[in-house]
Amino acid sequence: MSEMDRDSRGGGGRGGSKDKKDGEKGGRRGGFFRRRRVCKFCVEKIDYINYKDVKVLAPFIPERGKIQPRRISGVCATHQRALQTAIKRARQIALVPYVTE
Amino acid sequence: MVRQYELIYITPPETTEEVLADIHQQVLTVVERFGGNIEKTENWGRRKLAYEIARHRDGVYVLEVINGPGVLTTELDRRLRVLDTVIRHIVVRVDEELGVAERARTRRKESMATRRIKRGLPPEPTEGERRRHAEDDDDMDGGMETGFRQDRDRGER
Repeated sequence: MSEMDRDSRGGGGRGGSKDKKDGEKGGRRGGFFRRRRVCKFCVEKIDYINYKDVKVLAPFIPERGKIQPRRISGVCATHQRALQTAIKRARQIALVPYVTE
Repeated sequence: MVRQYELIYITPPETTEEVLADIHQQVLTVVERFGGNIEKTENWGRRKLAYEIARHRDGVYVLEVINGPGVLTTELDRRLRVLDTVIRHIVVRVDEELGVAERARTRRKESMATRRIKRGLPPEPTEGERRRHAEDDDDMDGGMETGFRQDRDRGER
């Protein structure tokens, strides 16, 4: 029974994904509006994250040179893993810094 | 077992054409000795390095796409390490990842086609539809342009 419930709820939510935007997520932290995060690579349908292309990697490397965590950038797990190796390779050939002071 | 590798090496900015040709020739000899071939060579020219390597701030990047067996990479790696005209190099196997990407692309295309056929549409989206979807796309993340600002950092020093 409980499984049935969950299923029907999931089905109902599919249509109204846009409502989620200012629903539970945004309302929680003192009325702070949080954007619905989407994986950039899924949206743009990028299958291969090229480590030679600095333009693709740069948005995920903040000032300090660290790799931006998923919880901030919204990248999905699969693509974050690919992005991680891509950035690490790019670092080896000095396309992207290890650290910036 | 033929695999595809990408070799990138960096030479100091003042490297002459002859030296580059010589390195290329050496790479080619190694590759051919193991029965491989160089698919393409790309000279990216002089680029700024993200960090100093052997007291160089700039470097000449050369990319070679190589087809050949795996044992080739160890020899290539060893050779490049002793060359002091190459300040940095990397060999990456790419055939697997490109294959994964290719499969993902075809899978997506197929599932899109089946979904569209179920709805009674032609399998490929028409030009007009594509344009409409591009306009719909309003939830792009705008606040992610914080790059590492390489150029500005360089200027200050």
